[in-house]
Amino acid sequence: MNRAQRKLILPTAIAAIIAALVLLAPFLPLADVRLMDIPGRFSAPSSEHWLGQDEFGRDVLSRLIWGGRASLFIAIGSALAAAVIGTTLGLLGGFFRGFVEVITVRFSEVILCLPPLLLALLVVTILGAGTWPLILALTLLYTPNYARVVYAATLQVRSLDFVTAQTAMGAHPVQILARTVLPNILPPLLVQMSLVVASAMVIESGLSFLGLGVVPPTPSWGLMIRAARGAMEQQWLLLVWPSLALAGTILTFNLLCDRLQSALDPRGVTGGGALWLRRGRNAPAPTPVAKVAAEADALLRVEDMSIRLHAETGMIELVRGVSFTVMPGETRAIVGESGSGKTLTGLALTGLLPDVLSISGGRALFNTRDGTQVDLSKLDEDAFRTLRGREVSMVFQDAAAALNPVLRIGEQLGEAIRAHNDIDDAALNKRVVALLRQVGLPDPESRVRSYPHELSGGQRQRAMIAVAVANEPRLLIADEPTTALDPTIQAQILTLFQTLKDETEGMGLIFVTHDLAVVAEIADQVTVMYAGEVVEEGPVDQVFARPRHPYTAALIASVPEGGADRLVAIPGTVPTPHNMPPGCRFAPRCDHAIAACSAAMPDIERPAPDRRTRCIRWEEVT
Amino acid sequence: MLRYIAYRSVVALFLVWVVVTAVFLLLHLIPGDPAELLLSQGSIAADPAAVAALREKMGLNAPIWQQYIDHLGGVLTGDLGVSFRDGAPVVEQIAKRLPRTLEVIVTAALIATGIGVPLGTYAAIHANGRADGAISFFASAALSTPVFVVGTVVILIFAQKLKIMPAGGFIPFSEDPVGHIRLLLLPAGTVALSLLAVITRMSRASVLEVLQRDYVRTARAKGLPRKRILRRHVVRNAMIPVLTILGLEMGTLIGGTVLVEFVFNWPGLSGYLVAAVDARDYPEVVGIVMTISILFVFLNLLVDVINAALDPRISLVRR
Repeated sequence: MNRAQRKLILPTAIAAIIAALVLLAPFLPLADVRLMDIPGRFSAPSSEHWLGQDEFGRDVLSRLIWGGRASLFIAIGSALAAAVIGTTLGLLGGFFRGFVEVITVRFSEVILCLPPLLLALLVVTILGAGTWPLILALTLLYTPNYARVVYAATLQVRSLDFVTAQTAMGAHPVQILARTVLPNILPPLLVQMSLVVASAMVIESGLSFLGLGVVPPTPSWGLMIRAARGAMEQQWLLLVWPSLALAGTILTFNLLCDRLQSALDPRGVTGGGALWLRRGRNAPAPTPVAKVAAEADALLRVEDMSIRLHAETGMIELVRGVSFTVMPGETRAIVGESGSGKTLTGLALTGLLPDVLSISGGRALFNTRDGTQVDLSKLDEDAFRTLRGREVSMVFQDAAAALNPVLRIGEQLGEAIRAHNDIDDAALNKRVVALLRQVGLPDPESRVRSYPHELSGGQRQRAMIAVAVANEPRLLIADEPTTALDPTIQAQILTLFQTLKDETEGMGLIFVTHDLAVVAEIADQVTVMYAGEVVEEGPVDQVFARPRHPYTAALIASVPEGGADRLVAIPGTVPTPHNMPPGCRFAPRCDHAIAACSAAMPDIERPAPDRRTRCIRWEEVT
Repeated sequence: MLRYIAYRSVVALFLVWVVVTAVFLLLHLIPGDPAELLLSQGSIAADPAAVAALREKMGLNAPIWQQYIDHLGGVLTGDLGVSFRDGAPVVEQIAKRLPRTLEVIVTAALIATGIGVPLGTYAAIHANGRADGAISFFASAALSTPVFVVGTVVILIFAQKLKIMPAGGFIPFSEDPVGHIRLLLLPAGTVALSLLAVITRMSRASVLEVLQRDYVRTARAKGLPRKRILRRHVVRNAMIPVLTILGLEMGTLIGGTVLVEFVFNWPGLSGYLVAAVDARDYPEVVGIVMTISILFVFLNLLVDVINAALDPRISLVRR
């Protein structure tokens, strides 16, 4: 039983108690709800009348329970009736579509054009006040809710494979609906049910309060509040009891609905929030900016960096002991399959890891423009902010999602410049246009006023790159910037990166990709990652000519090349983070694995001064 | 954009026609004679002569299509008939009372948005924390307490016990602006409470959703200050669904202030409706229901247009 399910217990228990009380009302030793006692009117609570007596001296506790019976009977009765009718309409509409859909779902949606209380009033005008007209009105009111929910769920279930299979095997539609579709739509139906009960109680009590609902002398919470309102000066407690009962019951059903929803859909519960937005809540760094004189000439030196996931079940290490350097003007490719940790490594270097992830070890020393060295792995949000965009910048994979859909391109680019420069509007506009021209966006003067959706995929990625290079960063991290693009556009974007690098002196580039062809085209150095670890590293031409790790070799072999007549796929899949092999992580998929490979985690070995590999058998197998 | 507005307007007009027709059908196609239904009280049968007179007055003797055309024509020319009770044109009463109801709703919406959006945003940023739990519970409780309960309790506390507020009533703004606003605050504040709960919940959910979006990460990658990210990228985008909900809720409220107006003796449109229902004044009820429904439809149209202005992608999506 998880947390979301445990949270269900309380509202369910209260709902059960309320239901038991009103169901057992005839058997409980309660005073007659109609028994008047004029001398005892407005009496305060006593041992005989636990909650006191009302304006006619009737017992309040008894009327409260019997009133709940009336309210719940109407609310649950109409919720059930609406559920049966609405579910039937929704099922039929969703399953048969076409004309049936029009006369069932669309037709019932007309009711949603009217404000709910208004519709109820209209029905009461025609039929008069009373319990049954109320049930009819509420049923009419809530049928479209069910029809909609069930319709949507049915459409979803209908397209599932096993339903399609049954249809193909010639099962009768009614049978399919009853056996497969109905159980599948039960969860959303349950949520809707508790919501409708709560909502129906609001309308029922409101109408009764107006004197248009339950007819006296039948007790009802709405009627009790109506009567207590007139007697407020004599005994204000009379107002408190039914108000508490009504609000408490509705709250119970609303909570039930909320928690049912999160128990049925666990995605909504975990995650969320934004630690980086909380002031003063960022991990306090002992020395945010270490003012160490730059001793090395490397732009970035990542040493033994690990990234951990803080899950409910414990910590899981997603990236382990990653090391590499980036020299000024150098392009380093980080290559690997999905799940290799290459993107996380890039995000960690800009401090943009999701809240549930954090750097758990190692360091990342970066030389800033003014000659100081900072450890990127220990910066807090504020310290990072001054570096982002100006010193370290990032190009994201999916430009369509990475650009804000409701802001113009010019504004999104302009704010990046403004974040680090004090600049007037005219100069800003000139700079924005110049940047867009630099990244090869056609007609930059008018593109400034475009929204992202008005650009093509390639143009969006160009705009995204313009944002990243707006302040001429020293280090540019590009996370699969060409993956979402057509091959021809890919080549253009790669050329753009090359041009930008040639134009910006000393800018280092980290290019994260899964595409070896791209690596060959753009990179000087390559780091190959597998299952969260660096497995091989070296200059691109050397690694491609003589891979020193079986995984790299397999990757290269799997690239479809013009001359190759067969494609070698790597057997097996990348191990999941909570199920890592004990020794070499590639061993289970490796053709050359021996017992020793699975015995202990292999260390980094150096086949050449500038090459590294994590394979104990590199001398024999490569 | 213009094409989108035109398209939405056509849809809205169609919905108005549907509503006008539905109200007509509801009153004319139900089993039994509307005139007889309107005149009978419970099980007491109506006087046949009175029924016949009413049938003539309501034009029920004409063929059904003739009645439907008259009904549509009436709506188009703004003629909603005369009241059974005093013979005054229904439109006049509506014109007098509608602004008062709208005043309550707009004030409530302003209060609710002003408090609910920051509250929901704060809860989202501190999601799953203690403050978030407290805000969420407050919102659930506020949402679960019917307006008439809140209103009655407000009167009990502020008018009865503390004696710092009047118990309700209405003073025209032209006569006494301060008194008018004092009296307005009671119903508006009461309506605002439940609206506040809706806006808070919606803002929280929406901000949480936007925080997960890639463009927020991009904004951070640019090195923008927190406040700018929050205002420009998070809240602005998150407000689009909140605005939609606000519009829908306000539409519902046009007919849903009945209880609040009753509790605080506010002479708005809804109170008029209750009186009309009570007296079974058929032309009044139909007139008010149609006015409210049409307003409801047009408010939704307005929300759609504002949404399209906020989110330029919307105007591209036509069904």
